[in-house]
Amino acid sequence: MTAGQRVLRAPDIIGATRGGLDRVGRGALLAAAIVRILASPRRYTNAALAQAYHMGIRSLPLVLFMAAIGGALASQQTGAQFTGGLPLWVIGSVVAAGVLTELGPVLTALVLIGRLGASIAAELGTMKVTEQIDALYSIGRDPVTFLVVPRVVGGMLVVPPLVIVADAVGMVSGWIVGLVAIEGLTTADFLFGARFYFRPWVLAFSVIKAAIFGVTITFLACFIGLEGRGGAEGVGRTTTAAVVATTVAIMLLDVLLVPLLKVA
Amino acid sequence: MIEYRGVWKQFGDDSVLSGVDLTVKEGETLVLLGPSGTGKSVLLKHAIGLLTPDRGDVIVDGISIPRATPEELKRVRRRIGYVFQNAALFDSLTIARNLALALDTEGNERPLAAVRPEVAELLRRVNLDEDVLDRYPAELSGGMRKRVGVARAIASRPRYVLYDEPTTGLDPVNAETIDGLIVELAEELGVTSIVVTHDLESAFQVGDRVALLTEGRLRACGTPEEILASEDPVVQRFMHRRFGTAAAQ
Repeated sequence: MTAGQRVLRAPDIIGATRGGLDRVGRGALLAAAIVRILASPRRYTNAALAQAYHMGIRSLPLVLFMAAIGGALASQQTGAQFTGGLPLWVIGSVVAAGVLTELGPVLTALVLIGRLGASIAAELGTMKVTEQIDALYSIGRDPVTFLVVPRVVGGMLVVPPLVIVADAVGMVSGWIVGLVAIEGLTTADFLFGARFYFRPWVLAFSVIKAAIFGVTITFLACFIGLEGRGGAEGVGRTTTAAVVATTVAIMLLDVLLVPLLKVA
Repeated sequence: MIEYRGVWKQFGDDSVLSGVDLTVKEGETLVLLGPSGTGKSVLLKHAIGLLTPDRGDVIVDGISIPRATPEELKRVRRRIGYVFQNAALFDSLTIARNLALALDTEGNERPLAAVRPEVAELLRRVNLDEDVLDRYPAELSGGMRKRVGVARAIASRPRYVLYDEPTTGLDPVNAETIDGLIVELAEELGVTSIVVTHDLESAFQVGDRVALLTEGRLRACGTPEEILASEDPVVQRFMHRRFGTAAAQ
């Protein structure tokens, strides 16, 4: 690219940067509005509980399926990699570590991104492009109180129990598949290994991660949904953007949260 | 009273409003006419703070909308009913819930059973039967949805009702029903109304005054008779083309 072309492209780059910063600013304002509303639980508790219930019911079957597959894979892979080199009880430790710290929370989050994040972004995006959000303002309702806070609080409430269930199912599936597929592994070995690794903080870490993921998925889906524009095609773009942004955010958070595991 | 004082609005490089000055007097019905894309709906949205002007001011009952606090804005919005072009009903809620939401203020919601009589009364006011209460917006015809939109707009007993193309997309019978409703509500409830429309017949039927917006500016404003008698060639061309088209059809 010549110097002249670079100069000609400068306004585009400045415009894009400004647009990005504007978006971050709007996200920060939305987050601030949510925090303000959280101080008045009466305004959103019932709606948040209803959201949590629906989110949980809609996601549970897929969460259980993914957790069972995750546990089974962890157990089989550990057996295939370590058999002969390490005692078999290590399989119990690796399954417990893998499921509780990573597979349980992350697989659940990925399921929820597809199941809830996409649906929240599509719903709010449709409401935006069909002027339903403007209609809420026009009747003196705040869309943040009415739509966003119940979803974010619902996500924060429902993801931890989903992850606990996913952790349990992942462990059980790892144990059963290990007994069937790994020669010589006994229940006593598996339980010894799992107990050897397990500390209460690991479970707490799993639950904390779940709550953070729950807030992240619902917040980003709501924010991107409310930014929606441009008819049916726009809603499609909004939904895709929400899934991509939320997935990236969850993976980054997963890395950033690792040091928390070493706290206790 | 709603006052627009030198309102400018631009979207990207497109200048939509270029210094509009307009006053809507208490109790009158003002019809905003103009070709597509001249900023009629944009002007309407400024009155309830859905858009803020780049320059100028919009004042409702002495409160500057762009400078209003969120609480002031909420209070002003309860005094204004807004009928959206495509009704903009909440499609995941039944008609009863749509209307109940507009009846109560945030944080003071009553159970649906308690507001049902009031909701039914609102429907009766727009000539709809109670049997639509438990239906969803998608299950209603376009005309019925518009009427529910009007019912929602008057739920908070507003002083002002703003109609954004209330008859667009409706058959002549339904359009006439909506026009009748606008006149009826203005007379019975004494509301001040702004009606954005392309429909000249409708404009002259419901409007006490008619304003013509072209290229983001107010070109003419007066009683229907004054507008029809205007010697401004732009006004004449707009009226002639519209009436001419209607006559030809």
